[in-house]
Amino acid sequence: MTETYFIKTNFDLCTGCGLCQLACSERLLGGYNPHRAAIRIRHLSENLYHFPVVCNHCRNPFCANVCPAGAIFRDAATGAVKVDSEACTACGLCQRFCPIGMIRVDPDRKAAVKCDLCAGEEPRCVSACPTGALIKVTVKNAAETEGVR
Amino acid sequence: MNDGYMGRFLFIDLTNRSVSRPPVPEWLKTDYIGGKGFGARLLTDLCPTGADPMGPDNPLMFFTGPLTSTAAPSMRACMVTKSPLTGLYLDSFFGGRFGPEIKYAGYDGIVIVGCADTPTYLWIGPEGRVAFRDAAAIWGQNALEANRSVKQDLHEPEAQVVTIGQAGENRVLFSLVTCEYNRQAGRGGAGAVMGAKNLKAVAVKGKHLVKVHHPESFSEACRRSRSELSASQEVAALSQFGTSAAVSFSAAIGSIPFRNFQNQADEAAEKLGDTAQGRHLFLAKAACFGCPIHCSQMGAVRTGKFATFVTDTVEYESAAMMGANLDIHDIRAVAHLTRLCDEYGLDTISAGNVIGFAFEAAERGIIAAPAGVDLRFGSIDGAEYLLEAIAARKGPLGRLLAGGVKRAGDKIGKKASDYAMHVKGMEVPAWGPRGTPGMGLAYMTSDRGACHQRGFMISYELAGEPFEGKPVQAETLAGKAEILRNRQDYLSGTDTLVKCDFGAMGISADSYARMLSAATGRNADPASFWLIGERIWNLTRLFNLREGMKTEDERLPKRVEDPLPGGPLKGKKISGKDAAYMLADYYRIRGWDEQGRPRKETLKRLNLIDAPTFVYPTDFSQEKR
Repeated sequence: MTETYFIKTNFDLCTGCGLCQLACSERLLGGYNPHRAAIRIRHLSENLYHFPVVCNHCRNPFCANVCPAGAIFRDAATGAVKVDSEACTACGLCQRFCPIGMIRVDPDRKAAVKCDLCAGEEPRCVSACPTGALIKVTVKNAAETEGVR
Repeated sequence: MNDGYMGRFLFIDLTNRSVSRPPVPEWLKTDYIGGKGFGARLLTDLCPTGADPMGPDNPLMFFTGPLTSTAAPSMRACMVTKSPLTGLYLDSFFGGRFGPEIKYAGYDGIVIVGCADTPTYLWIGPEGRVAFRDAAAIWGQNALEANRSVKQDLHEPEAQVVTIGQAGENRVLFSLVTCEYNRQAGRGGAGAVMGAKNLKAVAVKGKHLVKVHHPESFSEACRRSRSELSASQEVAALSQFGTSAAVSFSAAIGSIPFRNFQNQADEAAEKLGDTAQGRHLFLAKAACFGCPIHCSQMGAVRTGKFATFVTDTVEYESAAMMGANLDIHDIRAVAHLTRLCDEYGLDTISAGNVIGFAFEAAERGIIAAPAGVDLRFGSIDGAEYLLEAIAARKGPLGRLLAGGVKRAGDKIGKKASDYAMHVKGMEVPAWGPRGTPGMGLAYMTSDRGACHQRGFMISYELAGEPFEGKPVQAETLAGKAEILRNRQDYLSGTDTLVKCDFGAMGISADSYARMLSAATGRNADPASFWLIGERIWNLTRLFNLREGMKTEDERLPKRVEDPLPGGPLKGKKISGKDAAYMLADYYRIRGWDEQGRPRKETLKRLNLIDAPTFVYPTDFSQEKR
């Protein structure tokens, strides 16, 4: 049994500041742009509510299911659903089938980009969050995340 | 080279529906940094002398700074134009998410000139391309409806949109530009300039990355800044209460305006403060982009006559100007009036001041209330009536008041100008100056008219903040000019970044310089903020003198010469003699002559003689489809 983790979102504490997105795009792409981060925030009701949206690292990942190149896989060590950017052909099918917009073909990288749980390091978005709207939660029973494909 | 800048401005000519993308010159980055610096330089160079603020020649400009849109905490952007309210230099700063988006679209600033022949909105899309879109269907909508409509029209929920409401369309001289929800470029009438250009909205969404020169030292400098924010008690108070906590502070020290500044005391102020707002309105916190402070306290009016609407719980200026200054103490009513201002697109500071003036004139029998309208202090219906009349320029009162208190006072005569609370045409904000002569001097000499954000002298005079390690006497006149000069220069220098005034309560000059150095790769010394700020302050001075400002315009409203009738500062006043003493001292310290004109040696020291100028681009062309 391995220990893995995920990122839990607390919309009630999210202020919509986007520091998580800045930290994420900086790590992923070496520059700042929230639209190109692997975490989204939906700002609703004139900024009364802010819903952070993070990758679910699904047990049944639609992105991996539709990938014709077999470029999306689960990292055994972290449990994260990841993209092999060498194998990715940037066809964009994953983007079309993820219902929560958590994978996207990046215009510069020419490959699909998504959350990889910071490759097992402390997630940058969680570290950047000033309010506790994003927290790292450890899952003891990793069996629940096994059995993909 | 990555240097935090995008390297280009976007010029848009509404008359010819054409665009140009000139590079940002290196000298402009070095000598003026960004934000206010870019604005002061470009307004001087691009706006013809004597241009009509509502005419096609007056540029309407948005500027970012090298730190805007990065992980540097608490950054903003600004609008710069020639003010229709004062006829002088205007900059107005705003947070939210519109400013960063300008850089994500690939630009350091947007300069809009000309005038569209029909209502138009601009769409600056992910590639940075410009579309001139028909706004006929949204013309007439309020500023918040227009935001929604533009996003729907574009099918772009994540676009960032600035809009004007009906007040901007009708060229009310204190109409504002709404920068997404809860954030406004509020003061000085930029909304009227936009309305005069037939421009209802500007929408932007960009996919460019903003890159800094030294990512690691930049991250380190940002961490340092964030820890300074965490250590600041003032910042902690803003995180917890927003600026509403200033209601009780201002009432306790005797600065809060009451009944059109007749007094600076309000016994019922607590009904407008953070406790009352917390009970009646508060629901959650919201932040500007990239800001850990989250000073916005979001809420809703959920019951009662004014239900139901979502509101940023009422910040200090609005609570004091729409509440205490009008003798209205139902916080839900004040939230309602503030909401109306947000919808019409009116500056709450000027609007509250204008209504206070009208109530006083009505109580004195100098203006007549229309049948069935109560224009006495305390009248919520009266305030609501006036806001609607002003925004629509409807009826004699709407037309009279839409030009602000200076013009209204001049028009009415009968000594009404004595209680028209403005400096240089801009209405005084919610910090009465009697008892704090330095604050009075700040109002007199601010580049854009009466403004509390160009040197908040009350901090030193009544809140016990020492200046350079020494306590400052509240009522002393000597030495105030020196402190004020220091603050004006530093604030102007850091308004180039573009910093937020609340962030600056925690972040040190040293940390700003570290972030700037790491972002640009050019070594920035903290002292350079004062030097560049002084250069900018002198440049805006030259602009204002060019546009006809005289030393006699730098005076406080007549009312402050009368002693306060009660409250903590009972008996305090600022006499004409005292004001003249401070002004002369200020001119001398600034290196200006008796008429307030910068001396040649001052301009030489600041490299403003034969300085490079920004040349209007000549390569405008239509966007290819």
